Amino acid sequence: MLSKSAARAFFIGGTLLTGVAFAALTVHTHQTVPEQSNEANLTPAVERGHGIWTDENCMGCHTLLGEGAYYAPELTKVVERRGKLWIKTFIKDPEAMFPGRRRMVKYDFTDAQIDDLIAFLEWVGNIDANGFPADPPYAPAPQAVIVGGRSLDNAPEVFKSLCTACHMVGGKGGNVGPPLDDISARYDAASLDAWLVDPQAIKPGTAMPKLPLTPEHRKAISTFLLETR
Amino acid sequence: MKYKTQQIAWLFFATSMLLFALQLVYGFIMAFAHMGYDTLHPWIPFNAARAVHTNLLVMWLLSGFMGAAYYIIPEEVEREIVAPKLAVVQWAAFVIVGVIAIIGFHFGWWEGRKFLEIPRPLDWLVVVDVLTFVGIIGVTIWKGNRPTTTAIALYLGLVLAAVLYLPGMIHFKSQVLDSFYRWWVVHLWVEGVWELVMGGILSFLLIKLTGVDREILEKWLYVIVGFTFLSGILGTGHHYYYIGAPRIWLIVGGVFSALEPLAFLGMAMYGIAMARKGGRQHPNKNALLWTLGCCIMSFTGAGFLGFAHTLPQVNMYTHGTLVTAMHGHMAFWGAYGMLVFALIAYAMPELTGRARHKGKMAEWAFWMTTIGMVAMTGAFAVAGVAQVYMERMTGLDFLDVQDALQVHFFGLVLAATLFTTGFALYVVDFVKYGLPRSGGAPRTTTNGSADDVVVAVGARAAEG
Ligand code: HEC
Ligand code: HEC
Ligand code: HEM
Ligand code: HEM
Ligand SMILES: [Fe+2]
Repeated sequence: MLSKSAARAFFIGGTLLTGVAFAALTVHTHQTVPEQSNEANLTPAVERGHGIWTDENCMGCHTLLGEGAYYAPELTKVVERRGKLWIKTFIKDPEAMFPGRRRMVKYDFTDAQIDDLIAFLEWVGNIDANGFPADPPYAPAPQAVIVGGRSLDNAPEVFKSLCTACHMVGGKGGNVGPPLDDISARYDAASLDAWLVDPQAIKPGTAMPKLPLTPEHRKAISTFLLETR
Repeated sequence: MKYKTQQIAWLFFATSMLLFALQLVYGFIMAFAHMGYDTLHPWIPFNAARAVHTNLLVMWLLSGFMGAAYYIIPEEVEREIVAPKLAVVQWAAFVIVGVIAIIGFHFGWWEGRKFLEIPRPLDWLVVVDVLTFVGIIGVTIWKGNRPTTTAIALYLGLVLAAVLYLPGMIHFKSQVLDSFYRWWVVHLWVEGVWELVMGGILSFLLIKLTGVDREILEKWLYVIVGFTFLSGILGTGHHYYYIGAPRIWLIVGGVFSALEPLAFLGMAMYGIAMARKGGRQHPNKNALLWTLGCCIMSFTGAGFLGFAHTLPQVNMYTHGTLVTAMHGHMAFWGAYGMLVFALIAYAMPELTGRARHKGKMAEWAFWMTTIGMVAMTGAFAVAGVAQVYMERMTGLDFLDVQDALQVHFFGLVLAATLFTTGFALYVVDFVKYGLPRSGGAPRTTTNGSADDVVVAVGARAAEG
């Protein structure tokens, strides 16, 4: 039978052996991480953003690289998914974007702070995380048929980043607001522009938020939405 | 109780009970928020509730471990604790730092680093406090007659836990390296050195409760903790798959963490075998029930449910979902919560000379918490698997999926209510045991926080 001293030797030997291997892998990790995480792009803005992320404990609701809490969306790829303009608008007033849904804290960040946060999230999004998050394997294939002939492919950037979070066009986008494929049936350039300047003024209490659109943005959007095909 | 200074343990046990009660309150706050009732959001947003819930967990477990050391070490090494007054100061300082941290969380004084939210200045106080503790126990063992393997395992576990706290305090610019070292604390604690503490406490309990031969028991203790470290150290890799660390961790972490359940299986078999083998019929059947419960639930929660998501192919989809929360609850409760409860169930009759362990209440407390926790794990499991399928596999929107999961959080609340009722029975028993008895004990009640005085007063009332 196994003796006590043999058992002790197994304990000490095993621990030392794996301990040494762990130390070696730690060194290897330090050598690999700078390239794998694009440390060259880790600018002071990213660092400041990281600071805000930690100070506000965003990880207490969200996950980032799969670490954190399970109450709010995973943010690793959020810049790619939503775009910078959308995130900026959202953080200023989270409830306006998701009326009546689960609440995020409304922070009094300055524009510069939000830019830093976005820089941080963008840096994280570019880390090579060995394939995480994976594309959903059972996701329905993208719709080949385009409803009413309108497609997001030729939508202006601002539309893709700000409006598709809530509206669908060509079967793609969010469902907070109605699909916008047939808007030309109900709106002309003037009425659409007025709506986009301030939805609340046209329809008080509406769930569509006032968005930060420049006149050029509004022009591009109404050209896209009202174009007849 | 053979040594007067073992009474110090009572302070830590009482603190554990209180902090755990508060932890449960914050658990309910989060469960309701998940159900869509986030009424408290303006005052206690989810991230505050979560930081409080998990930090209280760590604090009450550490408090329980420290109490365990103050209780077990004198009996093992056969002498009184050195510097009992300093030990009471060490306890008071621990409570004060803990209370400041918890209050601070409500005002945003924290660091958003999961499980290590305590801000750096307080970290230093924690370090000083734990060093004092380690010093007191270390000198006691040194001066004692009999440095048993059981005592050394317990002590080594606590010392290494203190040492491993340090890498978590290093600051890194990079989120990746920050995470990398955070796991040196979190993972190497629960799947490494805390298992030494577990081995030590379980050995002590089994020796006392079953009268099994110390030599045999301590030999197997080496084998089990040998397996723990062999698998657990490199098993840290299961947290490094998808955080930007090199790919080699997928293989190393996958293989070694898949072996980790063996250590928990070993622990369970060891407990059950020793309980069968032992000749003694100790009257405290309730403590034996908790001890065996701990062996079985730790294997189920940590070993079995840990294995369920530890392979990189699975973890790709479950990483950071409610599946993790499912495993976290049963593992923490089964391995460490029940361990502390088992020791308290053993120690209270010895400390107070009362025999409440024979009562029905003690038995109900065990079964209600156990069944409650199994049901809570079930609720998290259903929610977690549904989330993985809908969000990660099918690509549905996060918030839409969460709406669909609300009903499972109703289930969670029901299960948690059963669990909490069981815990309440345990606390009633704890209070009714009263204060430790025997003359000349260290004055344990006057240095207490307001809350402890309440318990002490309650205990006196029950006595009188
Ligand atoms: C109290 C919990 C909570 C905290 C704290 C929190 N969030 Fe959120 N966040 C949410 C919720 C819930 C959503 C989902 C949208 C909604 O319902 O408002 C969200 C959505 C987001 C989104 C949009 C994600 C998407 O895919 O639509 C971003 C970006 C974001 N949060 C960033 C942050 C940052 C940065 C912080 C820290 C400064 C933070 N959040 C702190 C709860 C929180
Ligand atoms: C936070 C979600 C949200 C965002 C972002 C959003 N909308 Fe809306 N939108 C709505 C909602 C909700 C309605 C329905 C309003 C109502 O009827 O009260 C709406 C209505 C509309 C309508 C009127 C539809 C109709 O059939 O009468 C138009 C046009 C419109 N949105 C355009 C836009 C454009 C263009 C953008 C991007 C610049 C945008 N929306 C961004 C939520 C949103
Ligand atoms: C008593 C022992 C254990 C406890 C207390 C415990 C607790 C936890 C907790 C709280 C987490 C969440 C951590 C986070 O994401 O921040 C976690 C994650 C994890 N645990 Fe354990 N665990 C234990 C043992 C094990 C074992 C033995 C295994 C493997 C066989 C395991 C596998 C995992 C995995 C793979 C994750 C990562 C989940 C993810 O990617 O989100 N655990 N554990
Ligand atoms: C009243 C009973 C309880 C309820 C309702 C409850 C509920 C919750 C909820 C909702 C979360 C947050 C999950 C998220 O991020 O969305 C959580 C996290 C957690 N709870 Fe509890 N809990 C309870 C008791 C316990 C107990 C008894 C323990 C351990 C002994 C525990 C340990 C944990 C841990 C470790 C986490 C973090 C999990 C992770 O990050 O994966 N909880 N709890
Ligand atoms: Fe782990």
